[in-house]
Amino acid sequence: MSKMSYSIPIGPIHPALKEPVMFEFEIEGERIVGVDFKVGHVHRGIEWIGTQKNPLQILPIAERICGICNISHPIAFCMATEEAAGIEVPERAQYIRTITAELERIHSHMLWAGVAAHEIGFDSVLYLTWRVREKVLDLIEYLTGNRITKAMFTVGGVRRDITEEQYPKIREALNYYKEMFNKLKHVFLDDKTVRMRSRNCGVLTKKEALELCAVGPTARASGVKKDVRVDHAYAAYGDLDIKTVTPDAVTGEAKGDVYDRIIVRLLEVAQSVDIIEQCIDNMPSGDLVTEPKPAKLLALLRKAVGEGVGRAEAPRGEVIHYVKLTGEEHPYTWKVRAPTYNNLMPWIPMLMGEQIADIPIVAASTDPCMSCTNRVTVVKKGRVDILDHEHLHKLSVEKTRRLMQ
Amino acid sequence: MSLVETMEIVLWAILGTIGVAVFGIFVGLLYKGIDRKLVAHMQARYGPPIRQPFWDMVKLFVKETVVPEHATPWLFNLAPIIALAASIATLLYLPIGGFQPILSGEGDLILVLYLLIIPSLAMVIGGFASGSPYATVGAQREMVLMMSYEFPLAITIITIAWQLKNTFADHPFSLATIFSQPVWGTVGIVGLLGFILLLLVLLLVTPGEISKMPFDAPEAETEIAGGLLVEYSGRNLGLFYLADAVKTVVMGSLIVAIFFPYNLSTILGIGGIMAPVVDVVFYFIKLLLVILFAVSLVRVAVARLKIDQIVYTYWIPLTLMSLIGLLLIMFDSTSLFHISLGW
Amino acid sequence: MRFSMIPELLKQLFKRPFTNLFPAKYAPSSPNKFMEAVKKGEVRINPPVETPPGFRGKITYDRDKCIGCQLCIKVCPTNAIEFIPEKKKIRIYVNRCTFCAQCNEICPVNALSMSNEFLLATTDRFSKELIVE
Ligand code: SF4
Ligand code: SF4
Repeated sequence: MSKMSYSIPIGPIHPALKEPVMFEFEIEGERIVGVDFKVGHVHRGIEWIGTQKNPLQILPIAERICGICNISHPIAFCMATEEAAGIEVPERAQYIRTITAELERIHSHMLWAGVAAHEIGFDSVLYLTWRVREKVLDLIEYLTGNRITKAMFTVGGVRRDITEEQYPKIREALNYYKEMFNKLKHVFLDDKTVRMRSRNCGVLTKKEALELCAVGPTARASGVKKDVRVDHAYAAYGDLDIKTVTPDAVTGEAKGDVYDRIIVRLLEVAQSVDIIEQCIDNMPSGDLVTEPKPAKLLALLRKAVGEGVGRAEAPRGEVIHYVKLTGEEHPYTWKVRAPTYNNLMPWIPMLMGEQIADIPIVAASTDPCMSCTNRVTVVKKGRVDILDHEHLHKLSVEKTRRLMQ
Repeated sequence: MSLVETMEIVLWAILGTIGVAVFGIFVGLLYKGIDRKLVAHMQARYGPPIRQPFWDMVKLFVKETVVPEHATPWLFNLAPIIALAASIATLLYLPIGGFQPILSGEGDLILVLYLLIIPSLAMVIGGFASGSPYATVGAQREMVLMMSYEFPLAITIITIAWQLKNTFADHPFSLATIFSQPVWGTVGIVGLLGFILLLLVLLLVTPGEISKMPFDAPEAETEIAGGLLVEYSGRNLGLFYLADAVKTVVMGSLIVAIFFPYNLSTILGIGGIMAPVVDVVFYFIKLLLVILFAVSLVRVAVARLKIDQIVYTYWIPLTLMSLIGLLLIMFDSTSLFHISLGW
Repeated sequence: MRFSMIPELLKQLFKRPFTNLFPAKYAPSSPNKFMEAVKKGEVRINPPVETPPGFRGKITYDRDKCIGCQLCIKVCPTNAIEFIPEKKKIRIYVNRCTFCAQCNEICPVNALSMSNEFLLATTDRFSKELIVE
């Protein structure tokens, strides 16, 4: 094959991509020699919508920033608002929040496992994992009232209790996952073809992961011990026995390839099962919310002045919400940073030097969630501007000057 | 030969060709339906009804055929026709349903080997003619794939011919010979092992030959969005779909003809008009089993390999396997070790 | 060489598939005709998986209880609820509803609740079934 390179566009719409993102590859034969990508195709203006609504109205919207992380975003938003308004959350509510967050992690990682299998053409595994995922979805539906959007949270607590009568069903589902864990581990870690496709593919070294600020399983697979649940415990995580998962627990060293990312996610499913069990065993009694009357809560939030930051460990990494309340009906600012934002740049070292065939699995291996990430697109007179570092810096300096006057 | 006789032969050939074409397409599509159903059940789904490929066909043929702007139209449109025609032509040289091939006595195994390349080549041409980067990558991969599987395939076929030449001096490559003389009977125990290895090689070459998992890199849906076929639509895509169905039957028939040419009517001693019916049914079952083991069971149990891994798989383990098969059979035919099985 | 999926696949071949065949085993050639036949009682649909207690489905509204306080409108994230000033009652456009049930909680007289009805797809977003008043 000639050494002449040619370029291949992948996206914004492509079977390998579950959400729109535009890749441009420079290819030599089958090898990738240049990568560039553009995001911004699914910007929805959610933050702006949020500043037109009161915090209780924002909650279901925060849930819809990402269909999969529909606990992580509300939990981060709640924490930010609670901090801003100075609301304490009862202990029992913290435990229930933890349980739902971990259920979400199980379902998200199972979903990812299926997608990853599909990307390497192993559809039987896709059907297997999604079948296994069905159990946790049923449990979520049983506990929260819907399969996906849980609508569990309110500022200052949770809206639904998890009662003793519900424990048997939870335990049954957890036992099912314990059983399935070995089977899935066998399929993902021992299978010849899965190994061939994922070992030494899309490597992100520890140094690169640190430099590019990767978060979540992507960073942990490279050996970076980084997990908000441990480093900056929120909800009930501080009370629980929980350790950061890195792949060296299984293989002895963290290489940071796709295989390691599979290991991390698999182990995290087991960890989530364990966390939920701990929560059920130690569930404290008490209130569910600080202010049970939503109307009063709204009045309270209207009066509140302050700002707060909420950090949560979503299945994909760290979610950060910032809220500023200024004693008005609607928050003055609501800023969201989704984990995929940090995990975009690591794509470049991962994809460089790999083959075309690796693109789908490597791109999927960070579990990207584009619509969560897309925040700012400036469209002026039909022209789309991408704001780079310098430009943004200039804008901030200008704004600071304005404020100082 | 008088003119009338020639006319008669030509007429029979034409009728036979049409018959074989209809048969090949029908069985191919039916097999696709069964394959999808079985695979679905293995994946804990119900899957589409068995008639689904026929509906798909009808749908593709009534849909609009789009020729992309950057394509070379005549090549782009010609490729699917060549692919289908070549696939059907191959079928003419293969014994189907317990009957002698339509063109028996004309071609031989080597011709079949060459004919098998044509549909793949047509796809390559169609891919390059599409003018799409995905199709170009797909076409390159298809060429590499062809080069990879031809090697073990050639060794296997030549070994079989060599063995037959040892047994019956004339026409070793003729399919009629192979068909009338099951290979198993010509060797002893060691040779038997050799032939089992060769059978395995041939079964594993089949998914490569028809671009099925794990060797479907040229089409790789999640990577290059259908590769070679990405720009094809409507009738053209339908023709490729048919060619693929027929080629599956071709590969199945080839394996059946070489390794399982037995007829139930001779074994059970059924005569009269019932004999062909029994044979056709039996042949169909054999074909189905072969395709099941070569395609369906393989494609559900593996992930798609990268093109360099495909080359490796075909050139190292499979070539080694066929070479060992060759050695075993050669070893066997030296009379010293020939332990007759008394077939 | 290890192919971990093979035992599972072969086992599954002889087991019942997992899929719940809702609403019919195979896609009917005409969904509209199928639905008509279902309405006439000629064919039965395979029932969907049952919803658990506490499921959040289509909203129900008790008109007589409602006192027209408009609190529900205040918490609805999607502006699905409209106030009708002349009657001092509300109207809910289910096509906008996100099934969050926040309006249920805030209603001082419990006039709103969530049913377990979830088969709401239609071609007309303002059809009678999708407007609760
Ligand atoms: S359930 Fe939620 S979205 Fe639906 S009407 Fe009530 S508040 Fe609005
Ligand atoms: S909150 Fe209840 S009483 Fe008030 S308007 Fe809504 S439905 Fe009526």
